[in-house]
Amino acid sequence: MNIGFDTSQMLHGAVLTVELAAGGVGVSLVLGALGGLARSRGPRWLRWLIVGYVELVRGLPQILQLFILYFGLTQFGINLSPFTAGFIWMCFYGTGYAIEIFRAGISGVHPGQLEASTALGLSRFQSFRRVVLPQAVARMVPPLTTFVILELKNTTLLYIIGVPEIMYHANLLASNSQPLNIYLIAVGFYLVMNMTLGRLGAYVEHKMSWAKS
Amino acid sequence: MFAGILTLWGQYFGNFLGGLGISLEITVAGLAFALVAGAGFAALRLARFRVLRLIGTAYVEVVRATPMLLVLYIMYFGLGQVGIKLPAYWAAVIALGTFYAAQFTEIFRGGIQSVDRGQREAADALGLSRWQRLRKVVLPQAVMTILLPSTNALADIIKDSSLVITIGLSDLMARTYEATSATFEPMDMFLLAGVMYLVVYLLLSRVLGRLELNVQRRHG
Amino acid sequence: MFSDVMVNSTPSDIAVDIRSVTKKFGERTIFGDVSLQVRQGEVVALIGPSGAGKSTLIRCVNCLTPFESGSIMVLGHELHGTNEAKRGPSREMLKSIRTETGMVFQSFNLFPHMSVVDNVALAPVLVLGTSREEAREQARELLCSIGLSHRVDAYPRHLSGGEQQRVAICRALAMKPSLMLFDEPTSALDPELVGEVLGAIRALVDRGMTMMLVTHEMMFARDVADTVAVMADGALVEIGPARQVLDDPQTDRCKSFLSRVLQQKAPSANTSAPSMGAQIAADAPTQEHEQARDTDRKRKHAEEVER
Repeated sequence: MNIGFDTSQMLHGAVLTVELAAGGVGVSLVLGALGGLARSRGPRWLRWLIVGYVELVRGLPQILQLFILYFGLTQFGINLSPFTAGFIWMCFYGTGYAIEIFRAGISGVHPGQLEASTALGLSRFQSFRRVVLPQAVARMVPPLTTFVILELKNTTLLYIIGVPEIMYHANLLASNSQPLNIYLIAVGFYLVMNMTLGRLGAYVEHKMSWAKS
Repeated sequence: MFAGILTLWGQYFGNFLGGLGISLEITVAGLAFALVAGAGFAALRLARFRVLRLIGTAYVEVVRATPMLLVLYIMYFGLGQVGIKLPAYWAAVIALGTFYAAQFTEIFRGGIQSVDRGQREAADALGLSRWQRLRKVVLPQAVMTILLPSTNALADIIKDSSLVITIGLSDLMARTYEATSATFEPMDMFLLAGVMYLVVYLLLSRVLGRLELNVQRRHG
Repeated sequence: MFSDVMVNSTPSDIAVDIRSVTKKFGERTIFGDVSLQVRQGEVVALIGPSGAGKSTLIRCVNCLTPFESGSIMVLGHELHGTNEAKRGPSREMLKSIRTETGMVFQSFNLFPHMSVVDNVALAPVLVLGTSREEAREQARELLCSIGLSHRVDAYPRHLSGGEQQRVAICRALAMKPSLMLFDEPTSALDPELVGEVLGAIRALVDRGMTMMLVTHEMMFARDVADTVAVMADGALVEIGPARQVLDDPQTDRCKSFLSRVLQQKAPSANTSAPSMGAQIAADAPTQEHEQARDTDRKRKHAEEVER
């Protein structure tokens, strides 16, 4: 199809977008699971530390967080490349978000479940691993789907510091041809990604239909 | 060293405060736009006719899939292609409004649908009209469910208003960035801006949240 | 039913010995200075108005809830109040207590992510070290004996409340306990489903299982329990043989509770036993039952608001 300009560059950008989001989600989920666990079961000082971290992630504008990593750290002689700074930010932001998802998932499991497994003689770890965690994960599927989509959308901000993801290429093209068409193609890309992930989430949710009591 | 930071902060505080004023101005205008449009699209999503519902759903799906920055660029750069040249300020307001209208559509729809079916049936049984039913029975009960996510959305608008730095508006974020290149002490400047954003965020989420909880308690 | 349930006996004749136990939630005393003995093979029913501390008392027995002072001897294991003991019970002791006692909850608390058979087989595999195949086989047998052979592979949410509670009973029995604790096992059930659960409990009583049973089913308590203990206002107000306590209560507090349960009915509490029993069965449980459900609903609501 000839739409008057070469979109192959945008496709490269799209690939980078997906890679960045996938990496960010992966790291965030691991750190978020640990953080969420510490947030619900850890010592008091650690809980407060995590609460503070999550509030910082939620309270500061995303650009400001990104700029602190990319520009701010130069004051201390730390010069990160756009890609490194961008990726670290994706993980930093995503972890804060994931911690909340895990915390809510764990605390959402009915206390009677823990009582029942305790009464059966299961140890704390066994109760958590076999009874609480599976139910927490099932409850987390919808917010996790939202989270993955959010991380995908967050990659656009990395364009501002010069990471060549889809928005970056869209802007290069937009500056010398029809910008609206270019941007609408970008919208189409995000829409397709969003719908794919939405379907995937709904499928996983369906597989875990026992979680709906 | 601390004295150095404080002097620097003192020097820029007034300038930043002015920037925050612009941020809040854009936020409030965007919020008003989003509330009105959100109510309209929520009405569409709950309409009796399938076509209207479809339009409402499509709007929400497309806008929620799109990053805020892209919406902003469409309004500011993209619309030029079809002859609509919006000033940066209005592009920002309309972009925030368009984007958050989708969030508010879902918030409103969720609130209205959260009201127990029996309430609607009771109103019908009493012979209330559709409008009376909505106005006197459903909405007062939906308000509670709507308030909390609305506060969150408002906090998000403030944060997202910082994106206008990319189209040359002089909000808090833009002034901060300018100050970093003027002082060569980027972290100090970001810290000041961070504190200002955090104060606004905490005021919103804590104070408004607490107020809402009180209202909720009173109304059972 | 339960033809293969073995009732273990420990050397001592006393299964549970509760000695002047006091339980507080913060400043509020739930009950104070409660003493109660349960002999091997004895069925003790705990009755009384909502909020009297009945459920909390049996939770103390298997240490789901700690208590402040006094001591409880459970199947030879000594539990002490938190005010008196320097350290809480050891992990090993807790494990043996919980392994040797089975607990059935008001709200079933089946694990929603496991099939019925896995619900029953989970603890034997994890706690007793039974092989998976063997545990599942035993679970199947238990479920068959309770009339749930067709539900073995179903998930809890597809079961009726009565079926869920019967699975919960099997889940507790799978650990081959020597003491069963029932915490209002029928209070969350629709009236027409109460019978099947009571039937299962009765079958256990017939097998000689030692039991502590918190219930609002007066007729059932009168029927199966050896001893009835009445709790009210944070104390044990009356205890004695089931029929004696229910037909001819001695204390005023117990009388007033029973008469409220029996209100709108027999002119006096001394009507001949069978007819009174029938009346209680017809009305009293449902009234109490409504009350229990109501408080449960309120609690749930409070939890949601909390969140």
